[in-house]
Amino acid sequence: MNRPGIRAVAGFIFVAAASHGVIPAIAASQTTTGVRSGRAAIEALRFEPLDFEQPDVRHVEVAGIDVLHLEDRSLPLVTVRAYFRGGYGLFPRDTYAAAMGLPALLRYGGTESRSASEVDEEIAYHAYQLSFGSAGGSVTSTLNTLTEHLATGLSLWGDMLVNPAFDPTEIGAWRTRQLEGVARRLDDPARLAYSELNRLLFGDHPVGWEMDEQDLSTDRLEQDDFRTIHARIICRDNLVLGVTGDVAQDELESLLRPFLESLRSCPEPLPAAPIPEIRRASGIFLIEKELDQAVIAMAHPSDVRLRDDPEYFSAMIGNAILGGGGFSSRLLGRVRTEEGYAYSAASLWTTPRRHEGLIGATTRTRPDNVVPAIEIVLETMSGLTLEEPTADELETTVSQIVNGFVFNFDSPSSVVARSMYFLAQDMPEDWLERYWSGVQSVTPAGIQSVFAEHLRPEEMTILVVGDPDRIGRNALATLGPVTTIEVR
Amino acid sequence: MRVGRRKPALTLLVVAALLSPVGAKAQSQTPAALGAIRDGGLPHVEKLVLDNGLRVLLLPRPGAPTVSFVMQYAIGGVHEKPGETGVAHLLEHMLFKGSESIGTTDIEAERALFEQMDRLHDAAVAAADADDRVEMERARMEIDRLEDEARSLVVSNEFDRILSRAGAQGLNATTSSESTTYFVELPANRIELFFALEADRMAHPVFREFYSERDVVMEERRMRVDASPGGTLYERHMAAAFREHPYGQPVVGLMTDLERLGRRDVERYYRNYYGPNNAVLAVVGSFDRDQVETFARRYLGPIPAGLQPPEVEAAEPPQTSERRVVIQWDAEPAMRIGWHVTDALHEDAAAIAMLSAVLTGGRTSRLYRRLVTRDQIAASVFSATGPGSRFPQLFQIDVTPVQTSSTVDIEDAIYDEIHRLQEHGPDPVEVERVRNQIEAGRVRRLQSNLGLAFQLADAESLFGDWKTTFNSTDRLRAVSATNVRDVARRYLTRANRTVAILQRSTGAR
Repeated sequence: MNRPGIRAVAGFIFVAAASHGVIPAIAASQTTTGVRSGRAAIEALRFEPLDFEQPDVRHVEVAGIDVLHLEDRSLPLVTVRAYFRGGYGLFPRDTYAAAMGLPALLRYGGTESRSASEVDEEIAYHAYQLSFGSAGGSVTSTLNTLTEHLATGLSLWGDMLVNPAFDPTEIGAWRTRQLEGVARRLDDPARLAYSELNRLLFGDHPVGWEMDEQDLSTDRLEQDDFRTIHARIICRDNLVLGVTGDVAQDELESLLRPFLESLRSCPEPLPAAPIPEIRRASGIFLIEKELDQAVIAMAHPSDVRLRDDPEYFSAMIGNAILGGGGFSSRLLGRVRTEEGYAYSAASLWTTPRRHEGLIGATTRTRPDNVVPAIEIVLETMSGLTLEEPTADELETTVSQIVNGFVFNFDSPSSVVARSMYFLAQDMPEDWLERYWSGVQSVTPAGIQSVFAEHLRPEEMTILVVGDPDRIGRNALATLGPVTTIEVR
Repeated sequence: MRVGRRKPALTLLVVAALLSPVGAKAQSQTPAALGAIRDGGLPHVEKLVLDNGLRVLLLPRPGAPTVSFVMQYAIGGVHEKPGETGVAHLLEHMLFKGSESIGTTDIEAERALFEQMDRLHDAAVAAADADDRVEMERARMEIDRLEDEARSLVVSNEFDRILSRAGAQGLNATTSSESTTYFVELPANRIELFFALEADRMAHPVFREFYSERDVVMEERRMRVDASPGGTLYERHMAAAFREHPYGQPVVGLMTDLERLGRRDVERYYRNYYGPNNAVLAVVGSFDRDQVETFARRYLGPIPAGLQPPEVEAAEPPQTSERRVVIQWDAEPAMRIGWHVTDALHEDAAAIAMLSAVLTGGRTSRLYRRLVTRDQIAASVFSATGPGSRFPQLFQIDVTPVQTSSTVDIEDAIYDEIHRLQEHGPDPVEVERVRNQIEAGRVRRLQSNLGLAFQLADAESLFGDWKTTFNSTDRLRAVSATNVRDVARRYLTRANRTVAILQRSTGAR
């Protein structure tokens, strides 16, 4: 196995080593045409080292805010990205809808000096691409514009972020669309399965919340509700800002200054994220739905945390071998390739830094294959507690990360976005390099050990969305007592 | 609709690409590679034609040392005869199963088992025709047994594993009405590996694990269509609109056809249509063009040319009266309206693209403002032309109604807005807005190596000239308000439309 060395320079030069044959030697076969290919030709390949220099992201202070900047003159485009710490997961349930709706209303709700339709016209006329999004712990927004419209684009974008109007008509329209989403939740069996599994596991914790009519009651969606949550999140102490593209540093500073100077300080620190108490008990749950294909989702808590620790790297590589690593993974190999039960099958192992995550799996299959598919998934997961993965599996997984490391740097925009995320999450600036080193230290024994310690099939919550008559009620009951969930 | 091996992939239509720019990745490159684009010119793409007819498009863009490869065969759902729908897509799946030397420990022993399984498949089909369920089940179980036996000779997913070890990203494929496309991105020092593997599967594929993979495709169909209200509505809508032309056939295949497809059907399809003369390879990224040309000639050059696929002869006759389809489902309502329009190179195509943008292109568009913002009777409204581009397409409007509205009201509102457009055409400011978006799209579409490789391969494969994808910008710029009004009058008529509505089934909530 050839793995790259690494040496730090200004930035960081990555050297993926020359590599020899990439497949194990099995008897070569003759080809029937003169085509120079096949195993023999592939085994004979030799690859030169891959040298490249990591782009250098600069930190620039503008109006007291640390701005990450990576110049890229290749196209006349600029991307400005804002990451605000603070999301719906930090606030009480009665503010859930307002916090979830904040990004949409920043986009659609107009500003103090521009009506909602004027904002729309300006965006469309200059062909800005604007996005606003939220997660449990953050609100993000991105402006992408032709360089020639950067000044006007920043002016508009800053106004939308700092001085939103939260037009009541737009609040009402957003509420109508959300109510439609609530009604349509049952139409998508996969979405239904994942949201209900989260509810079962996390209960009344933000991860387990699913928007409902009560959240969307009009008394929770007044303008003041949005203003309050806006003041808590969209403020300078929460901001991490990054810029990529066709703009020089000095020009950028003058363009950003008005926006950043107008951004108010946060009124108080953000509350701490609530710690979930994740269900840890076996259970088979069923949501009855007459469909030609059932959805299976299962998980239980895991206390492996994201950190520079051998256990974490073993869990990540082990999960890739189990079912997070595409076609070479065990779950897909068993459930799809061997049995033909499913189009997709995947495992998950989430590793939040401040609380427990999940280890689990999901697949979709026709009703009469549901029980055997669940059994195969559980058996495949348990397999990693009983035996070490093969050296070949480990090498395939680690080599993909190591040899594909260059893809972390193939887009200036993603380089800056990643640096912003590390900064916002208080992660080490060199986390990517630590990860790169850490995965190369993983051993087969380490993977078996982390699965043996953390995988607990007896604590697995298993949810099936499907047609019980075609699945077979008795067959499903062989897995354990079945609890039927009524959803509306 | 495209269906793919793992997940839906990029959809790149010659015209639509400009209004819906693909890709979000920025990329560094020398001014020489794309500098011309800044001035409204074409990128410096070089086209090689090998002796066997394979066209290779090269666009070096120095930046991070990665390379995107897109191999497209001009073969898809429209080339399928009734009764064999889904064969192009199933073949796409099978091209990941390895070759005579990759994925096997004993190819001859495998082949002996293939023959037995093929005979059993014939027996299963004959039993199904005779309604002999016992014999059919017996044959299928025997196929399962033999496939398990053959598995001991298989090095499972070896093709995938070789590329994974090399650091490959995004290995996948997609099948559309008119093409089948394979793609992957690799570190720049693994370029030769791509050519060696691609040549191997182009020249010597082996369709092992066929019957279990066919089951996988059936699951894919269940996921995308049979268990999906939106997927079912789309399939029924296309079938109602296209009664003669194969655009009405689902690319993923009808379940009844999939059940009858055997390994030899797919092999035959491969032999007929997968020659290098029917393929285009686009390579975009950080590479040495001389080296890539050497690899292309060395590995892909010796593959013999294949047959030329037959032209699609079926043509959709003019529609003379409105068609309506209603399906019942335990789901909230949905609605689609489609009008027959032109192929993507027709002189009206650019005006139709502009029409689409005026009607549904963002929050300032006419239908969004009317249905979503003003009347609040829809949660969303989109439009697109498809399902392919080489033949007269369907201009489709897709609406998600809100619970309190009726589809009748929504239809009325849509027709009212269309009538206004037919009377007066778009305002100058609407046209200018769309032109500005075209201009920005012209730049944004260049951000992603993979997206660019798709665009080049698509245009060359479907229209015989990679420049087509860029020339469409000029055609869009030239569209006037009058052109938009005229195409609205010409095509968006009552007799020419097909309406598909999903209603909640009786008794369900």
